[in-house]
Amino acid sequence: MSTLEQTTTRSEGHRDPWGVKLERVGKHQDREAYRLLFEHFAPQIKYYAIANGIASHAEELVQEVFVSIWRKSSLYDWRKAAASTWIFTIARNQRIDMLRKMQRTSAEISVETEDLWQIPGENEEEPVTALHRLVSERRIRDSLKHLPEEQVTVIAKVYMEHKSHQAVADELNIPLGTVKSRVRLALNKLKVILQDENV
Amino acid sequence: MTQHHPDSFILMEYSAGNLSEPHALCVRLHLEQCPYCRSRVDMLDSLGAVMMESRPKVSVDDSLFDRLLTRIEDEPAQQDPIEVALRGHRDPLRKLLGEDLANLPWKRQLGDVSVLDITDHFPGQPERVVLQKLTPGGKAPAHTHRGTETTVVLQGAYTDNKGLFKQWDFIVMGEEDTHKPIATHDDDCITLSVLSAPLKLTGRLTRLLNPLIR
Repeated sequence: MSTLEQTTTRSEGHRDPWGVKLERVGKHQDREAYRLLFEHFAPQIKYYAIANGIASHAEELVQEVFVSIWRKSSLYDWRKAAASTWIFTIARNQRIDMLRKMQRTSAEISVETEDLWQIPGENEEEPVTALHRLVSERRIRDSLKHLPEEQVTVIAKVYMEHKSHQAVADELNIPLGTVKSRVRLALNKLKVILQDENV
Repeated sequence: MTQHHPDSFILMEYSAGNLSEPHALCVRLHLEQCPYCRSRVDMLDSLGAVMMESRPKVSVDDSLFDRLLTRIEDEPAQQDPIEVALRGHRDPLRKLLGEDLANLPWKRQLGDVSVLDITDHFPGQPERVVLQKLTPGGKAPAHTHRGTETTVVLQGAYTDNKGLFKQWDFIVMGEEDTHKPIATHDDDCITLSVLSAPLKLTGRLTRLLNPLIR
């Protein structure tokens, strides 16, 4: 049995518990499952909002994310994306949306946030990618613990604080090249960089 | 499959939601046609989720969940998944420009070159967003760039000193790069280019200044 098959069997055996709850919300409007998801993810999303510099709108963001989860849950399929990845992309899009609304002067908007940033699993029929996603999320979670702190810090600033690599370099007062080499080392370790890629 | 892809840093900033709207559009158009980059973005989205989960948590107000329940009670009954899925099919380019790229209000610039500035579709963003059309075999004048130029080929193909660029290829040109694109002979070559602001502002500053720029 190959490593991929073993990992696949394991993920079948331990279905993502949050994915199961999310499907219950989607299929049965299960409010208890919805509450459990809220208790687990709301505090993460609130921190995400604060780290992103929108502390005064933190609970508003949490609420928008959960309304969106409720609306979209009927489209969620645990085989297509881990629940936490799916919820992360919804939080990201709601954060983008909120900033766009704050900054916009006119009501005119020709491209919506979700035209630019898609939620994984929507409009696709590729079971292979889906399996790949579940396996890679588990692998990333396991190997993140072993990354040096300086690499985690840089990636956290990009994801949690809405900063470009250049902005991270400016803030930490290190060259952009150093930031990029930390990211590259981390992505290699997490196997996010595919082997044939040269960056 | 396309041959020229965005690098991991661009895709990470995309996955984190940090790219400007025009840059995100370029990535999104490439992703639509590139399974290789889609799978890279999938992994990066998972990295984002794991990051969020590994950071501190902040407890929310006790009443928030009850307020949420009140709010979803007012939601219409569960939406029809098929209808939602259909509405979810999003083609940003068609939304912006309609079905027919050939019949846009192109402005003839030089012999072989027509352009169409669509910057106004992205209010509040500091970049210039420009479509360019070269007639088959047409030559664009040699040019360098102030800041970076990010390009996606929408139709046809072109060559320059760096190689051959086909439909949905993703190209970033830096300040130091000079090139002289020539369309291939079979078709008009249409590209979408995002030109970073001539003022070199870093990410955070750009956002602060954003509302003032327009």
